[in-house]
Amino acid sequence: MAREDDRAREEFTSEAEELLDTLSRDLADFESQGANVRPELVNKIFREVHSLKGLAGMLGFTEISELSHSLEDMLDRLRMGRVAISKDLVDLLYDSVDSLNRLVIAINDPSLSGLVDMTGLTRRIHQIVTNQPQQKHGDAFSELTLDEQTRKSLTEYEEHRLLENVRAGKHILSLEVTFDFSDFDERLRTITANLSEAGEVISTLPAIPTGNINGIAFRLLYGSTLDVDAVAVLAPEANVSSLRKTAPATPTPAPVTPAPEVEEEMSLRSLSQTVRVDIAKLDHVMNIVGELIIEKTQLEALTRAIAMQQARMASHELGKISRNLDRKLNELQKSVIEIRMVPVGQIYSKLSRTVRKVARELNKEIELILRGEDTELDKMMVEELTDPLMHIIRNALDHGIEPADERKAAGKNPVGRVTLTAYQQGNSVVLDVTDDGRGINPEKIRRVAVERGLIGEKDTVDLARAYELMFTPGFSTAAAVSEISGRGVGLDVVKKNIQDLKGSIDVITHLGEGTTFRVSLPITLAIIQALIVEAGGDKFAIPLTSVEESLRIYSRDIRTVERREVFTLRDFTLPLLRLADAFGLEDHHDHGPDTKWFVVVTRAGEKTIGILVNALVRQQEVVIKSIGERLKTIPGIAGATEIGESEIVLVVDVGSLIDHFGGRAREVRAAVLS
Amino acid sequence: MKILVVEDSSSMRAYLTTIIESGSESYELEIIEAASGFEALKTLPHHKFDAILTDINMPDINGLELVSFLKNHPVYRNIPIMVISTESTEEDRRRAAALGAEEYLVKPFQAGDLVEKLRRLLRVA
Repeated sequence: MAREDDRAREEFTSEAEELLDTLSRDLADFESQGANVRPELVNKIFREVHSLKGLAGMLGFTEISELSHSLEDMLDRLRMGRVAISKDLVDLLYDSVDSLNRLVIAINDPSLSGLVDMTGLTRRIHQIVTNQPQQKHGDAFSELTLDEQTRKSLTEYEEHRLLENVRAGKHILSLEVTFDFSDFDERLRTITANLSEAGEVISTLPAIPTGNINGIAFRLLYGSTLDVDAVAVLAPEANVSSLRKTAPATPTPAPVTPAPEVEEEMSLRSLSQTVRVDIAKLDHVMNIVGELIIEKTQLEALTRAIAMQQARMASHELGKISRNLDRKLNELQKSVIEIRMVPVGQIYSKLSRTVRKVARELNKEIELILRGEDTELDKMMVEELTDPLMHIIRNALDHGIEPADERKAAGKNPVGRVTLTAYQQGNSVVLDVTDDGRGINPEKIRRVAVERGLIGEKDTVDLARAYELMFTPGFSTAAAVSEISGRGVGLDVVKKNIQDLKGSIDVITHLGEGTTFRVSLPITLAIIQALIVEAGGDKFAIPLTSVEESLRIYSRDIRTVERREVFTLRDFTLPLLRLADAFGLEDHHDHGPDTKWFVVVTRAGEKTIGILVNALVRQQEVVIKSIGERLKTIPGIAGATEIGESEIVLVVDVGSLIDHFGGRAREVRAAVLS
Repeated sequence: MKILVVEDSSSMRAYLTTIIESGSESYELEIIEAASGFEALKTLPHHKFDAILTDINMPDINGLELVSFLKNHPVYRNIPIMVISTESTEEDRRRAAALGAEEYLVKPFQAGDLVEKLRRLLRVA
């Protein structure tokens, strides 16, 4: 039984986490809908808490079960209209979900238990529940012609919603539809989605169809401002009739256009097709794919070797096998990568909870806008991303957004706004954290940097230099390291975390208008496309996500500006880096002005550098393997990979190469000028 | 014996199934799971169920609506039904009985209670 208990606990934790995530998202919607919150949403939140309570109760997680029980009771009153929506209630809901999250985490890590103030929460819930006047339930049924069977099948909640619709003077309609057993759910969902645009589907009662033994009938109770005729247009397949004995007195507005059906259906389908997969299993599959790719690479190498020895037929055959293998591998790799992808929206709920908490601690009013929650990213990356993002957002709240009176004086909305936008750009996912605060003042950065002894008294600081300083260890703009953005770490740690994910971070600021922190990440880490190059007699792999283009030049095209080799790429002066020099290799390649070179134009974040190599070998997939602790400190190396014939090459880390040897930004310059 | 378990929570479904299986030494058992009222309706024509266990609070159609449908259906009306729900919906419990559900079980429950009530429902020793 012990193992079964473990399994049950595991399943519970995973489902509870999912429930709480959904709950947080719904709470954010709930808050944004304000006093006009849709009853369906309140009911959904109630149901989620109800499920959590049921689960926790069965498995004996007393604290979770008790807290969710009190919450459920409060939410039940809320959906029944016996408790009003207030700021206290919203705050309490957020705090409760936060506490429930902690309790769920504490199941697997008992050292974390005792962090939740159960008594305080229970007291607050009790206050809200008892402060409300009890509403009496009038009998609005007398105004309807409703048969006994239908009335009996309503839950208490549905009955309440029906009466609310009657009281609000809505048309109360009955829609009868008959469908085939095979697709009734999809068709019913489409109808319900359409109807919900213009009213509330109160109940969906299955019924026995007359004359169609293979079908199933439904009777929908619908409250709407639309009358019978308008609804008949909206749902042409339904038999619509009014249940009111007398028509409501309110005027009926014209029918609204329902949302496009296709979209509704798609979003519903994606809901039911979610699979929960253990990430360890996926890692395993990913490793197999990685090893298969190494095998394939060796096969390719063998093919090349045979080709050189004129064994044409064999070479041809091997080539065919290799291509087939390649196709299959691509398929496998693509599908595995897809399984690993999760929407970044998964961490949005955690972020919005933190923002609320931090805003309250700082006594600032903040509006958080979350965009692009469907943007997908590797599951592991999403996990690793939470802390750095949290830190950037905290930073924006603490240092970016001004206090309300300062904002008012500047003619801004006293409520500060932080926007998190996620979107895909080629093979990268970009996350922008934008605030509408005071912007970064280079002079202020300069003063702090001088104070911290990072630069000399007389050093000048322009915007580009200010960005660099902000990410330098030992820098913090707060007079004292505040609890909020402090936490013992600075932006330098954020930058390191993001670089560990092979990503980059950039800052774009406009003084007085706000700042954007832009985090770009590769969509996945495990397998990448790389450009194999040769420099100083050795081969290297450059990740294709960092490569913008490559071109052939001659030694005479290389100029020297301020002791730095550069190349004029169209209208841009591109700083160059000889890859052989970067790794201290001897290079005997240069034989005068006519020597051929290749420039690989690479980019990390906003910065660009041209990597000078002797030859481009080919493009291929590589599996990055770690090279161990000892070599980790060498800048410019992301890992190693095998590219066939047991040949091991280093994978270049463009981000740290640029950091170490300096690149040049195109966009930042524009930002400084504007 | 073929049983339909209708419950939207996957871990609760797994838990119910484990208990039912562990209490079924004396009879052959097959459990079909449905994660919503709609799913339950969809499976109906494909099986001959000896009992149906259903939660009340579910998305799309709720447990009461499912009971109401089944108990009025010429083919399905004789399948015994057990409604499994929480104590907070006392009123709904009364309604389930009025609609003709044979058994009611309150969450959280003891594994033994579920096994016992299910035996009664299936009329097995």
